[in-house]
Amino acid sequence: MSETLVEAQGLAKRFGDFVALQPLDVKVQSGEFFGVFGPNGAGKSTFIRLLTGQLSPTEGGAKILGIDVANKPRLVKANIGIVPESESPPSYLTAAEFLEFVARLRRVDNLSEKVAYWLDWFGMTDKRTTLCKDLSKGQRQKVMLASAFIHEPRLLFLDEPFVNLDPIYQRKCRELLLEHVANGGTIFLCSHILEIAERLCTRVAVIDHGRVLAAGRLSNLRETDEETLEDIFIRLVGRSIEEIEAESDGLNEEE
Amino acid sequence: MSARRDEAHFIDAFPITFRMMFKEEWRQNVDFAKSRRILLFPALLAVVAMAVTVGLRFLTGDGVIGANADEISRETFTFDELRQGVHLMVFLFSLGMGSFAFLGQSIVSQRGGGKNFLLASPAMQPIDLQITYLAYYLKEVAFYIVLILTPVTIGMGLGILSQSVLSISTPLLWSSLAPFLLCVSLTMAQGIALSFFGSTLISRGQPFTFGIPIIAAFLGVVVYMDIIPIDRVIIGLYAHATAVFWWTPLGFLFCIIVAWVAAGLLPEDFEVRISGREDLFLPMYERLGKLGLKSDSRMRILIAKEIVDVLRSGTLFKMLGSFAVPLLFLLLMAWGAEFAAFPIPFNLLSYAPFIGFFGFNFYSWLNAIDAPDHLNTMPVSVPELLRAKIWTYFLLTSWIGVLFILLMAWMLDQWDVMLASMVVMLANSIYIVSLSAWLMGLRPNKAIFDSGIMARFWMATAFPLVGLFLLSWTQGDTTLLENWGMQVSSSGLDAEAQAIDLENRQSTDMTYIMGICAILLSFSFLFLRLIDRKWRSAPFEN
Repeated sequence: MSETLVEAQGLAKRFGDFVALQPLDVKVQSGEFFGVFGPNGAGKSTFIRLLTGQLSPTEGGAKILGIDVANKPRLVKANIGIVPESESPPSYLTAAEFLEFVARLRRVDNLSEKVAYWLDWFGMTDKRTTLCKDLSKGQRQKVMLASAFIHEPRLLFLDEPFVNLDPIYQRKCRELLLEHVANGGTIFLCSHILEIAERLCTRVAVIDHGRVLAAGRLSNLRETDEETLEDIFIRLVGRSIEEIEAESDGLNEEE
Repeated sequence: MSARRDEAHFIDAFPITFRMMFKEEWRQNVDFAKSRRILLFPALLAVVAMAVTVGLRFLTGDGVIGANADEISRETFTFDELRQGVHLMVFLFSLGMGSFAFLGQSIVSQRGGGKNFLLASPAMQPIDLQITYLAYYLKEVAFYIVLILTPVTIGMGLGILSQSVLSISTPLLWSSLAPFLLCVSLTMAQGIALSFFGSTLISRGQPFTFGIPIIAAFLGVVVYMDIIPIDRVIIGLYAHATAVFWWTPLGFLFCIIVAWVAAGLLPEDFEVRISGREDLFLPMYERLGKLGLKSDSRMRILIAKEIVDVLRSGTLFKMLGSFAVPLLFLLLMAWGAEFAAFPIPFNLLSYAPFIGFFGFNFYSWLNAIDAPDHLNTMPVSVPELLRAKIWTYFLLTSWIGVLFILLMAWMLDQWDVMLASMVVMLANSIYIVSLSAWLMGLRPNKAIFDSGIMARFWMATAFPLVGLFLLSWTQGDTTLLENWGMQVSSSGLDAEAQAIDLENRQSTDMTYIMGICAILLSFSFLFLRLIDRKWRSAPFEN
């Protein structure tokens, strides 16, 4: 029987006069691969940060794994894995030290084996003693992913997790995430890469200007059978294909 | 998949956080300087402490031969005064080092950039912000004890040991060393804890933003006026002076509680406040044209950007706060002091070089606002940015020193040396900032523990500062100088009285003071030229 792992009611966020997220409701069941898609600045990262207790909502609230995020943010963080969009691991720890730090905070058993396993999984064994600041962007991203997986959480929040990864590790991670869901795990993912939604997500929401434009299974969002997710996306965020083509033509003429 | 987990408790989270933070701090310093140089820094401190220990008897009057007891007691320091001086210096230093609530906030808000630190880990990990900051506080205290206070104590020990090699004796005893280290460490811990507490409250916004500096200044006055004796405020000094050492564990416990409460009061949010701002850059760029900077010159663009950074980040306010407290303290000291009862003839000219010296703090702040890495892709060089920072420093902060000199001249009624003091202050200010930029580039905060750089910085600043400071005494009550003159002019260590022609001496020494200022300005221009050679191929990183 499926269980509601993510539940937000009237969740909204305002930064001064700027409305980052308009009141929204969402429910994600166990075993779902839920994707939130939208253009840059749509409010995707704010949404994920509200759900993971990194931000306090202006209105509404959320429960993650049945735990109230506003009251017990640390308990929520203890039971989920988070991969942020742009945050790096601490610059002056090595990759192995950071994973050790995270694993100890999360009281992971067989700590050394787990650290070695994930470094090996990401092909980072030879980088275990390198300071995180000296790693490439992609390698730092791998360390952040490993830190989210190391305690084997049921629920993962991933914000643009594949952006800096090479194609080999993008595929490897995709397979890992699908396996996680197949084993009963749940994923809440934010991205603007639509290919991910088509390949991975069981359900999606499209947001823009902090507002949910549509949500549901991909098949339900299509107006015609031929419509691709990119078409759906452009239709939903308010610009027709013709408008975009006209814009591109205009640019070409200027050149 | 794992079963449900609890959040990290103190017993799990604190040891690993403290250990990793210590590593982080060490590596951050080693990253700038080589570890050999970092280790040379405590060695350098030990040597200085050894030299002071060897010369201690001259400060306390034990080395003055041929002068009567009254003279000695009037013109030298007692052990109590020296002890008080050491604790006060350590306390003021630690107040300056402890305001890391501000640092934490900027780390948390900038964690999306290329660099990140453990202080920001509560955003993602199940660890309490309070535990993280307590670990940070204890790491800071431990780091300063290991890197500063312990080497000083070892140096004092070497000074005592050197009695058998040199013919000079020191009044310091072996049995004094452990109490010294214990009590001065407590003073350090207390200063950092109080500063952390104050900065935490300020970071909570009104009414603390203005309230805390006012309370700090008020407490400074109360202590200065001896309404509350200083040894009742600095616990380490009390324990040291009274030899009641069982106070020290209680004192450390008190400091930890203060730090714990401060950490608990920190606003636990990881929000980046987003709001629309009016365009500042272009108006600032236009205004800089009035200073004669050419249109489209890179310098004008960089200065405009630096000024916008300072204004937007609120750093100007923080600078004023961190600058105003020690200045206010100096001002009150000068105002209320009965100089005759003090063994040193302070006057307005004595303070001026130190006000200029504070320029180093400002320059450090300027480099802590933003990561300059984005400039690596732009057609600008590090020397250009360094010069832009020096310009920004003068445009935004030089009025504070000027205002301070005017205030002090008025309070001390020393208008006759006001202009000269202004010249001394500005010359020192230009010199210190140019020297810092040349020696440390974009990373002055990390250069502190690089012994190679600090040795050069000390040498380059100590001589002019001490020279100007000593020469300034000639413009005040010079009774002590006679005694010092006696000691310096005597062959060996015997003191002999020597009369000084005051009138003649004052005008000659004023010429020397102005001469030193001219030399400092010449060196400043030299440093500005040398910046190109040293930093032209350096990457933009701080």
